[in-house]
Amino acid sequence: MLGILVLILIASTNYQNNMGFMTGFILLAVGFLSVFYTFRNLKGIEVRCQKSGAVFATQDAVVRVQLVNNTKSQRLGVGVGLAKKSVIYLDVDEQAKSEGVIYLSTERRGLLDVPRIACTTMFPFGIFEAWSWVRTPYQILVYPKPLPCPEPLIASSSGIEEGQTREKGSEDFQSLRDYQAGDPIKQVMWKAYARERGLYSKEFEDYVGEHHTLTWDSVAHYDKELAISYLTDAVLAAEDSQNVYGLELPQQTIAKGQGAEHLHSCLKALALM
Amino acid sequence: MNVKELPITRPGIVPLLVLVQAVVLLPLWFYIPAWISAVTIALLLGKYFMHRHGAKAPRWILLIVVLLCVGGVFWQFKTLNGRDAGIGLITLMYAFKLLEARSYRDASLILFISFFIVVTAFFYSEAIWMGLYLLAAILMILLGLVALNSPKGVEGVGRIGKISGVTLLQAIPIMVLLFLFFPRSSAPLWSMPSDTQAGSGIDDTMNPGSIGALRTFDDIAFRVDFEGDVPPRSEMYWRGLVLSEFDGFTWFKEQHSPIRQELELPMTPTYEYRIQMEPNNRNWIFGLEDLAEAPNGAYLFSDFTWNRRRQTTQRFIYSAQAYEIDFSQRPLTEFQLNRYLQLPDNSNEDTREWSVEQRQNHQTDEGFIRWVLSYIHQGQFYYTLTPPVIEVDSVDGFWLDSKQGYCEHYAGAFVYIMRAAGIPARVVTGYQGAEYNPYGDYYIVRQSDAHAWTEVWLEGEGWRRIDPTAAIHPSRVEEDLRSDASSRDGWMEEFGSDTGFEAPQGFLNNLALRWDALQSFWSETVMGYSRDMQFGWLRKLGIERHQYRYLGYGLLATILLAGFIFGYLVLRSTQRLEPVTKYYLLLLKKLRDHGIDCDRTMGPRDVLQLTRATSQKVYSRAAPALKTYIAMRYQNEQLDSEAVKRFRQQVSRV
Repeated sequence: MLGILVLILIASTNYQNNMGFMTGFILLAVGFLSVFYTFRNLKGIEVRCQKSGAVFATQDAVVRVQLVNNTKSQRLGVGVGLAKKSVIYLDVDEQAKSEGVIYLSTERRGLLDVPRIACTTMFPFGIFEAWSWVRTPYQILVYPKPLPCPEPLIASSSGIEEGQTREKGSEDFQSLRDYQAGDPIKQVMWKAYARERGLYSKEFEDYVGEHHTLTWDSVAHYDKELAISYLTDAVLAAEDSQNVYGLELPQQTIAKGQGAEHLHSCLKALALM
Repeated sequence: MNVKELPITRPGIVPLLVLVQAVVLLPLWFYIPAWISAVTIALLLGKYFMHRHGAKAPRWILLIVVLLCVGGVFWQFKTLNGRDAGIGLITLMYAFKLLEARSYRDASLILFISFFIVVTAFFYSEAIWMGLYLLAAILMILLGLVALNSPKGVEGVGRIGKISGVTLLQAIPIMVLLFLFFPRSSAPLWSMPSDTQAGSGIDDTMNPGSIGALRTFDDIAFRVDFEGDVPPRSEMYWRGLVLSEFDGFTWFKEQHSPIRQELELPMTPTYEYRIQMEPNNRNWIFGLEDLAEAPNGAYLFSDFTWNRRRQTTQRFIYSAQAYEIDFSQRPLTEFQLNRYLQLPDNSNEDTREWSVEQRQNHQTDEGFIRWVLSYIHQGQFYYTLTPPVIEVDSVDGFWLDSKQGYCEHYAGAFVYIMRAAGIPARVVTGYQGAEYNPYGDYYIVRQSDAHAWTEVWLEGEGWRRIDPTAAIHPSRVEEDLRSDASSRDGWMEEFGSDTGFEAPQGFLNNLALRWDALQSFWSETVMGYSRDMQFGWLRKLGIERHQYRYLGYGLLATILLAGFIFGYLVLRSTQRLEPVTKYYLLLLKKLRDHGIDCDRTMGPRDVLQLTRATSQKVYSRAAPALKTYIAMRYQNEQLDSEAVKRFRQQVSRV
């Protein structure tokens, strides 16, 4: 823009063309005004974030960003994202809200700080960019990535029937179907979900009343991260097969239990190990 | 995604770009060579249809067409330099750029270049409608920019139209201030390429037919604005050129006329005026007789004509004065005498003999001149714009045979006769008369006022203007030329004519004059705004020419002022808090005043609990307000103006 402006002013000076000067000055004034307009386009917008639930490592965490416009004018083309260069664009009407989703890639287990969020705009003329960084207080829990262990991990089975293997139990239900809203959370096949194969519900299940305690000792001879991944996989498998299971970790022991809550506390313990 | 990656395939963007280009190119299509116009139109249509059908032009075809076009421009102008070739080339490239535009960056570049293309059209016309068109075109470009930068593209034309319209309206006052303050240069930065455009106007030669052709042009030659006294219209002889060389057929301007020596001028000029001259692509400029003081960039010759160094290719505005100069003590030099008595040998012999013969019947030069004029008046001389064609010996053919002609026939013959009789004489060409515009209080001189008259040198008096055309008897002026001749010619009074023509003063004529007044204002005050005018009004503010820095201060002040005004206007509105939030903050402040340690980071429920725990008395008063707030904010309570009002009252009771 600056180049064009200089070109216009030089040509106008040379040819003593007042109409050219006018055009140049209008362009200059528009550039000047766009400083204010671009700044205003961001001003007064409230940014609200809603973090998603826990995710498994290497899965994308989801942060819902809501732009709230309490002002009396529209805000168009407001980009939100993790970096100024990669944003999604939202338009917010006056006195309205607009929502977008930012995906946060995860690598390692543990607590992930939601990074500051860029809020940027070049509207209306694309001459200047206004931006602001929004900090959120959130942390997202990242579960370890599940990996199937090459050896079975049933250490101390306070089992009811000896010899009944995990494999057997998992074969007891054959039919899987797509998750439908309203399916009991118990029926969700978490293991498949963790592997990013989508949400599935088990059609019906035999209640396989196995009781396991998964111990750190059984995987302690592996590399630490690998061991954690194996245990994660085992926990998910146990939950999937409706087993009652417990977890024994060096610093923490989780009593036997079952269900989403229990699963979460097991995975959290593994994530934060 | 970055804004720079917003695809231009969003609905409406490409058609809008096509439209912007069409609007921007429209004025140029009338001026650039027709084939370039046709190619650009074809390219725009091509882009539009390819966009609709999702097709893309193969690059190699584009390359070939581009090369062909560049070749075409070169073939047309024989150069790629210069204004016309440059503009031809740039318009072609501009249209090609859209054809291959694929990204945000391309589109953005096209839109900014559009501003430049708009400017190029002004090299051809600075008329007032172009000014209005400029605003429309800029609005279109801004619209394109806004659409390009909105994720939803053109969706909601009203919305983006409002943003660009408001911005343009706000940009105009800033533009005006910058226009007034921006430092101007008085000379071009580089020499302007010579102009091939033909202008109309007086030429530096005169032969039978040259001015006659002009008489049919109603184009404006220049406008005159008098300061103080105005000469009668019959005395308005706008001097352009002195033709003193004659070859028997054609009169020429003398080649190397000396620049005028300083004359002693009377203290006050007779007339002072400003002339706003239309471009005529010639070097000379016009003024009343007895000129003094050449305007900027012009010099004055000893025969009282002006020349500019450059041709007038753009409207040129200058101030001038007319003086009455006393020649009685300044005889002609030998050189001048020879020049103004020079006649070619072996041509127009009959008229020469006639002249010498007649001169002998008169005692004085003045008596002879009077007699020749009355000879024209009483003889069978006719004024017509369609005289018989004369092949050779133009004076003999006219004076002795046809006796039909117009100003240049009469002027040429009269000077010839005077010289033959030994009286120094010369032909003067320029314009005579003017039309008064009461709406703008100025005079319009048109090409149809072009005229030729003569000057004779009388011993002891100096140059005297004689207009032989004015001596023709009114009954022998062609019917449709009478009103025209009557307004210009002095013989109306001199010879007591009773024709008394009135200038047409109908409604349309009034309208035309008003329009011309507007155009004159536009071209003189707006388009003619120059460094001189800039310093002119700065001087009225008490700032002298050498104090350049005031322009800088003015510019800076403009920017700062505009910054404050727009910062206030644009950013003010967003400072206001939504009413509910405002009252809630007020509530918190009141609670703090009551000693309750709350702040905005606490949720309202916590504030409620804290209040109950701290002071039962405050709680009883603050609870309704807090509960209403919780209900409004978190429990889907209807948030209408009634509820807000209730909330305000509850807060005020705390």
